[in-house]
Amino acid sequence: MTLVPSNPEQARDDDWGSVLTDVATRQDRAAFARLFAHFAPRVKRYLMQCGSPDVLAEELTQDAMAAVWRKATLFDPGRAAASTWIFAIARNLRVDALRRRQGLESRADDDVGAFDFDQLESDQPSPEDHLETQRLNQRLHGALARLPPEQLQVLRLSYFDDEPHVRIAAELGIPLGTAKSRVRLAVAQLRRLLER
Amino acid sequence: MTMDIRHHPDDEMLLAQATGRNDVGTRLVLASHLELCGHCRERLRVLEAVGGAMLGELDPATVAEDALERTWARIARQDAATPRRIDASAPPPLPQGATWPRALAHCRATPWRWIGPGLRWSRISVPQASEANLFLLRVAPGKYLPRHTHTGRELTQILCGRFHDGRALFGPGDFDAADAEIHHQPVVQARRECICLASVDGKLQFDTVIARFFGGLVGM
Repeated sequence: MTLVPSNPEQARDDDWGSVLTDVATRQDRAAFARLFAHFAPRVKRYLMQCGSPDVLAEELTQDAMAAVWRKATLFDPGRAAASTWIFAIARNLRVDALRRRQGLESRADDDVGAFDFDQLESDQPSPEDHLETQRLNQRLHGALARLPPEQLQVLRLSYFDDEPHVRIAAELGIPLGTAKSRVRLAVAQLRRLLER
Repeated sequence: MTMDIRHHPDDEMLLAQATGRNDVGTRLVLASHLELCGHCRERLRVLEAVGGAMLGELDPATVAEDALERTWARIARQDAATPRRIDASAPPPLPQGATWPRALAHCRATPWRWIGPGLRWSRISVPQASEANLFLLRVAPGKYLPRHTHTGRELTQILCGRFHDGRALFGPGDFDAADAEIHHQPVVQARRECICLASVDGKLQFDTVIARFFGGLVGM
């Protein structure tokens, strides 16, 4: 098993985990402000890339960051990096906003009624499967760096587009069915790189 | 409880979960599987970590100058608001050893209703998502679900018991996705009744009359 050397990006991830823990344990407003300065502009970019217009993206970003403050005690650094945890919060709010836009009902309050993995009491993944968060992120950054550019693009579009297959097909000039298999291949390749 | 789980969701479905593209029914059936399956939780954890890594690498957008103050104001408003009560009802009783998925804790379920010999069902309603078509099926030992196919996707999570549908044997904790190409007739094994959570996003098409009656109940 080769370990991917630690890189600055990864080190930052860990730091944000301890900042988020300060928010949780001490209700540290200064720590939250630092977290906000780093993540709010990225959450907003994520929402805009997914198709939210600027005004909506701004609103949702503030909602997401408010949820980060409110739910900080549920953050478990053993399970996820801060960036992953914040990504999941932003994703859930985006899904809700999308439902509203499509005229479907949606939760008014992101706390109530929603199934939330953070609320599962500490679960036990099979030990042979479980990678410690820091090592998972180290490997992940290494694996993403080694993924062929086209597969990285396919993967990125999967996270940042509501209809990724349509978009992937258009951007790569391939049929829709092929786009789906490209996504599967990209995920499989990523998993292979992670295992190394 | 240790389980011998053999059938898992594929990466495409886990990726859709990680990126927020699964519909509500899919999300809940998948969540019910994940509660029992550490292997799939770990697979999903990796895909969510990819989302986090990608978020971290995005170019920062410009946020409003007073975005932080407005966020504090939101937090203050939310602190003052009283949380809504969760409108859930006690689930229909399950046999010993079967656990009600925590993912459904906020849902309502009807009592068990008879739909045929050895066949009962319970409709599950999800708050704020009336479009979800989610139900529990309870099949007595040795009985079978009428032979059927689907116009859309049928997702199943086995809560207890075992069935064989001509393709494979499914047991507690197993997950199955069947699409329009699959024409199957799940037969429950002799010793124990079987309870499944299912989500259907098209029509179930049954081959026989009694079965069509059930298809009507399921609501399409």
